[in-house]
Amino acid sequence: MSTPPSPSAPGLRTTPRTPRLPGPRTTGLAVLTATTLVLSACAAGPGTGPDADPEQAALTGAAGAGPVQGGVIEYGHLQEPNCIFGGWIQENFTARQVLDNLVSHTEDGSVVPWIATGWEVSEDGRAWTLRLREDVTFTDGTALDAEAVAYNFDYWLDGGNGTAAAHLGGFYDHSEVLDEHTVRIHLSAPFSPFLSTISQSYFGLQSPTALQTRTDEENCTEPIGSGPFTVKDWKRGEYIEFERNDDYDWAPQNARHQGPAHVAGIRWNIVPDNTSRYGSLLSGEMDAIGEVPAVNIAQARQDYDFTQYITPGRPVVMSLNTQRGIFTDQQVRQALSLATDREANVASAFLGTVPFEPSGYLSQTTPDYDEEAAAEYPFDLHRANELLDRAGWTGRDPDGTRTKDGRRLQALVVYGLNSIITPDGNTVIQNFQEQARAAGFDLVLRPGTPSEFFGGAFSTPESYDAQVGYWTSPHAGILNINYRPSTEEAPNGANTTFLDQARVFETIQSALQAPTPEEVTERFSQAQHELSELAPAIGLYTQTNTLAVGGDVTGLWLDPAQGGPVFHDAHFTSQDARDASGTLTPDTADTPDTADSADAPAESED
Amino acid sequence: MSLSTRHPGPSPSTPPPVHPASASVSHPAAARDRPPRGNRPSPAAVALVVGHKALGAVFVVWAAATLTFLIQALLPGDRATLLLNQQTGQVQERTPEELAPVNEAFGFDEPLIVQYLDFLGGLLRGDLGISYTLYQPVTTVIGDQIAPTVVLTFTALAIAWALAVVLLVLTARRTPWVSRIFSGLESAAAALPQYWLGIILLVVFALWLGIFPVVSGSGAAGLVLPALTLGIPLAGFLAQVMRTEFERTLDAPFVLTARARGMSDGGVRLRHVLRHSLLPGLSLTGWAVGAQFSAAVIAENVFARPGLGRVLVTAVNGRDLPVVCGVVMLVAVIYVITNLVVDTAYILVDPRLKEAA
Repeated sequence: MSTPPSPSAPGLRTTPRTPRLPGPRTTGLAVLTATTLVLSACAAGPGTGPDADPEQAALTGAAGAGPVQGGVIEYGHLQEPNCIFGGWIQENFTARQVLDNLVSHTEDGSVVPWIATGWEVSEDGRAWTLRLREDVTFTDGTALDAEAVAYNFDYWLDGGNGTAAAHLGGFYDHSEVLDEHTVRIHLSAPFSPFLSTISQSYFGLQSPTALQTRTDEENCTEPIGSGPFTVKDWKRGEYIEFERNDDYDWAPQNARHQGPAHVAGIRWNIVPDNTSRYGSLLSGEMDAIGEVPAVNIAQARQDYDFTQYITPGRPVVMSLNTQRGIFTDQQVRQALSLATDREANVASAFLGTVPFEPSGYLSQTTPDYDEEAAAEYPFDLHRANELLDRAGWTGRDPDGTRTKDGRRLQALVVYGLNSIITPDGNTVIQNFQEQARAAGFDLVLRPGTPSEFFGGAFSTPESYDAQVGYWTSPHAGILNINYRPSTEEAPNGANTTFLDQARVFETIQSALQAPTPEEVTERFSQAQHELSELAPAIGLYTQTNTLAVGGDVTGLWLDPAQGGPVFHDAHFTSQDARDASGTLTPDTADTPDTADSADAPAESED
Repeated sequence: MSLSTRHPGPSPSTPPPVHPASASVSHPAAARDRPPRGNRPSPAAVALVVGHKALGAVFVVWAAATLTFLIQALLPGDRATLLLNQQTGQVQERTPEELAPVNEAFGFDEPLIVQYLDFLGGLLRGDLGISYTLYQPVTTVIGDQIAPTVVLTFTALAIAWALAVVLLVLTARRTPWVSRIFSGLESAAAALPQYWLGIILLVVFALWLGIFPVVSGSGAAGLVLPALTLGIPLAGFLAQVMRTEFERTLDAPFVLTARARGMSDGGVRLRHVLRHSLLPGLSLTGWAVGAQFSAAVIAENVFARPGLGRVLVTAVNGRDLPVVCGVVMLVAVIYVITNLVVDTAYILVDPRLKEAA
């Protein structure tokens, strides 16, 4: 794996799109509104069933000739996944094309029906009953019924998907098949962001038949789902080809249209070099690219249909080790939080293309984000100095570093360079180090290689004073992953600050168990304030995902749960553009280039 | 003599290089352009040499495999933790309960010697194992990616030789300023960082002029720029190492003799002088083939080509031991073969070497 987490995930910010070569009808994408803060997260709490999605009407409104059918979209992507489905964000992106989920996340933070048409949660919050569509089949012919859903839950939690297990492990108990199309998920404790959690493609549904009868290799390279596309070919190092599933008729409620995808297929090209990837869009070889390089973003905003998605969850933060070293002292943690001008730092390092994130706990697009708590540590060198003086760090070494009882105010900052932290992010960390000197901090930077980082070289309290990283998640429940204290019987390696505060933990638990969305929001706000006071982490910038689309194609959108591109609604803007596009590799017998055949999806289905 | 150092090839038994210039003045080739086949070594001698070299080759491959295995297995950091963390993109500590099934599945909990013997046993059976992260047999992973890399490497090599020879024959020991300029250009080419050169070629020929595709893929049109990216710096190296020898040989008495016989300048350069300067170039080629395999990753990344370079880098980062070992051994084998070919080529180019062999 080339590792991890590449930038990704959900948040949503849309920049004004310049209408280039308007196609036969205006793009549905224009609807992505610039929502940043959303209050009713975890929205689909009890009873919030499949209400009509307000966007739906607007999206399917345009009448007249339907979108152009057929053609193959050339898409250029930064990193290659190891498998189509898996726990890595890159695998989430590819899984989204092939697998369906039970529910879908919308831009405003609510959850709408997909394979599940409705749901309800029990009084005690520990049993979620989901009613399923009755007409869904996997592409191998297996029915997507309650049995299949129950099988998938067990599969994800039992090693099938590490990220799914990180989210639901400790909460999932078992699944119960009530009837052919109703399944009940039993939890060991209430978990309010349940629906939001399962909207991520880490919870993509696969055919139980395929999982049971095929080899790991087959399930890795060609998982069988019920999604809008199937994997047709994968030339590692070059591209993955997805082919339209002609029988597809169960898109999520927030899709821009129902029925099979408009295009015949997608060629998901792996173009790792930034210059080449952007160049391939300029030259017209690619119809769309992801991960637009920072230096090209200004131009991309003008010349292309550009979307930037701000990932919800834990932003890129500096986690301070609260168990050992100088950061065991809360005043020192607060002082470092105040000591630098993080906003100016981020603006200069990213040329203004990536938003600064003041919060060390949640990114600004996460439902239940508390702006007030986030803003508690503005740049204030004077206060930082006061706190350090009060904490007893009053001596000074010749180099300006503060000392106390002969110890220097020194900290080892570790981060996975080029695997977790991009080169621009590295600049932010270096700027931070430089600015922190003014308050008397001596930060020692230690970039690590992927194999040492993922091998756990920097995972214990003895191995670092501060660590920089992020964790994408569509809801504030990420706080439970990051701040649940580690215990003997239930160690929590994801608690990178090693914070062990019962009060915060209880607040987070009460948020997860709160019965109404309003209470959930209130409790999560409280948790953010409590964390902010303790200052175990310092916010730096948001993880973002970008997409630039050329004039020949329209209708792509970024999945609000994790930020991957969704191709189901994409189509060419003209017959000519369609005809000029390539075809999928015709290596197998059937090459269904059903281009403009009769199955044009019904436009307005409501 | 500067370039008489042959590349430290696999076989310690290779003869010490005999530098043509240090040989007697009555150069055999000068005698009368006698083709080398006139005095071939006896079959027994050949067999001995070949046997020797084959043994050396096996040793090199075994050593490469063993070293790679040990380095990968003994690097700090737990392999099971690494696999789990990579699957989720986290860098955290893992619990014994989480680690146990992974250790079990990949045999990480076996004593190292057992893992090593299993690994060697697999090698003997031609089984390189299954990739930890791709779930594919390593032979499949390599088989899928080897063709584009081999094509790229050898195309680059061909380009490098063509450029170097043309440059030499046309510019060595001409009017001083011509020679100096081209000699300088060669040094500059040799010093070009491949990544930079690749980006420049990409921007100029693919983006501005639109002659070649930006995303090369594995097609023929897409081969040109990546091959130039690797070939141009190598051409600089080749021309540089051959130029010294070329110019010295131009001063050799037998060249004067040849000219006295009325041979044209071009004829002298091509038939006599070039041949002498080939030896250092051949030495360098033995090294270059191995080096090109590792440099290929740069061209592969810039031009979005599939290939072993990218597979290797990804596998090293992920400590996907079976894949790393597989690729390293493959490179070792190619390297060994190249050096055998180069050794043979030496004898063909300079028959005097057969005696040393």
